[in-house]
Amino acid sequence: MRAYLVSRLAQTALVVFLSLTAVFFLVRLAGDPVLLFLPMDIQAKDVNEFRQRLGFNDQLPVQYARFVLGAVRGDFGESLRYRRDALRLVLERLPATLELGVTALLLTFFLAIPVGIVSATRRGSLFDYVGMGAAVLGQAIPGFWLGLMLIYFFSVRLGWLPTGGIGGPAHFVMPCVVLASFCAARIARLTRSSVLDTLNEEYVLTARAKGLAEWIVIGKHTAKNSAIPIVTLAGLETGQLLGGAVITETIFAWPGLGRLTVQALQNRDSPSCSPPSSSSRSPTR
Amino acid sequence: MSGAALRRNGLGGLGLTLAVLALLAALAAPVLAPHDPVKGDFSQGLKPPGTPGHPLGTDQLGRDTLSRVLYGARVALFIGLCTVLLTAIVGGILGLLAGFFGGWPGQALMRLCDVQLSFPFVLLALTINAIVGLGLRNIIISLAAAGWVVYARVVRGEVLSVKQRDYVQAAAALGTGRGRILFRHVLPNVAPSIIIVASLQFSQFIVAEAAISFLGFGVQPPTPAWGSMLSESRDFLYIAWWLAAFPGAALALTALGVNLVGDWLRDVLDPKFRV
Repeated sequence: MRAYLVSRLAQTALVVFLSLTAVFFLVRLAGDPVLLFLPMDIQAKDVNEFRQRLGFNDQLPVQYARFVLGAVRGDFGESLRYRRDALRLVLERLPATLELGVTALLLTFFLAIPVGIVSATRRGSLFDYVGMGAAVLGQAIPGFWLGLMLIYFFSVRLGWLPTGGIGGPAHFVMPCVVLASFCAARIARLTRSSVLDTLNEEYVLTARAKGLAEWIVIGKHTAKNSAIPIVTLAGLETGQLLGGAVITETIFAWPGLGRLTVQALQNRDSPSCSPPSSSSRSPTR
Repeated sequence: MSGAALRRNGLGGLGLTLAVLALLAALAAPVLAPHDPVKGDFSQGLKPPGTPGHPLGTDQLGRDTLSRVLYGARVALFIGLCTVLLTAIVGGILGLLAGFFGGWPGQALMRLCDVQLSFPFVLLALTINAIVGLGLRNIIISLAAAGWVVYARVVRGEVLSVKQRDYVQAAAALGTGRGRILFRHVLPNVAPSIIIVASLQFSQFIVAEAAISFLGFGVQPPTPAWGSMLSESRDFLYIAWWLAAFPGAALALTALGVNLVGDWLRDVLDPKFRV
């Protein structure tokens, strides 16, 4: 067991290192940030001085070494736009994204798994059709459109919920629904098919023959066995949620990592891009 | 027909209908669109649906929504098709080679796929697009660069299992050349997986392209694309709901249609292949 953990950790470290490298090159390749920050009438020698001061004039390997050594120490440099420590900037935004992500995950699990189980046990019923119909729609409807329509109905027309930003529980409702919709749809469908599979197994037949109450049969025997693919998908989805929050955060003006990444990409703010991209790795499989 | 078969084929039929409608809209846009999607008429700005001559209303520049939605279908389906072809060919070939010949290049490829798969898809495509630049050709390249890994993984897995089958081993024992085995025995068995993944990824690519255009990258205005139309509609949501509703509905219905067709194909070709 320990050898397995160590090997997995080593693989994770390798993946993180490769990801950092990829991010470094991707963002450097995205264009010369120096030119974007200086006023139009700047002199050529001032451009050079600025570049020198920020360390963009050095050879690429030197920049790369500095980046990696800094990253290991947690120092990602100064954000070009905000003139503050990039890592601190990201860490300020991280809680907001985590709050949103965790709430969306909880919503997903408490909604999708029961719906999936009931759809499987009451296969062919109205609940099954409605539930799976909603799941298919949830997978197909793009999150940003759902967000816009929800904002229109619940904020503009009805005025029940705020249009965006962070605040009390009311601010969480729509972003979480939007974020969770795709994820919940996939998990509901997977739960249904997984439970259907296990319901055909022999031990379920045995349990029923023994005269056990139905809820014990389902809750105790099928649940654990059908959980395996669900747990796998849930692990993958957690990583995707952190990255997929980009769109949701933009629509609802949520001050999180996703929005920071997009703004940084739009402004070619290289030091700010690195930490968020590296942090949305999915958990080790 | 049994209830299950009817439901399976019924949903597939619905999906096919939606997909065909989207295709028709894309192909026949110049004929069906009542107005030029790019030229605006300021005197007709922000008219609601039902205005004579503008069944779905107009946007802030007076451009007809219906025409823009129809032309947007062209962009969406073109991008989806090109990306799917590109990723299927590149990923498929790499997966075939990695699975069939194996060795350390195959392993290295799989590790590379692992690294790339750990990035969220939309974020990766967005970052690549920020690098290679804006425009139609570049968004296709970005999406393909982010999306080919799935094919490589799936195809390699399939090839590994097909390699073990009796007829392949028999052919090898008979002295059949490896190239011939690859093309005549392995590839036809791997083709269903490629088709299934392609159909499932098609809608993912369309939605991802819309998302990237929504954020300001990808396809640029004035080219009508559903994603950038949705982005522009945000400013006018309070007074012109139709600017967000119709492009988004078109996007959702197209994605739904393609998804349903993909599910149906998967049921028909290989029911074990679950999401």
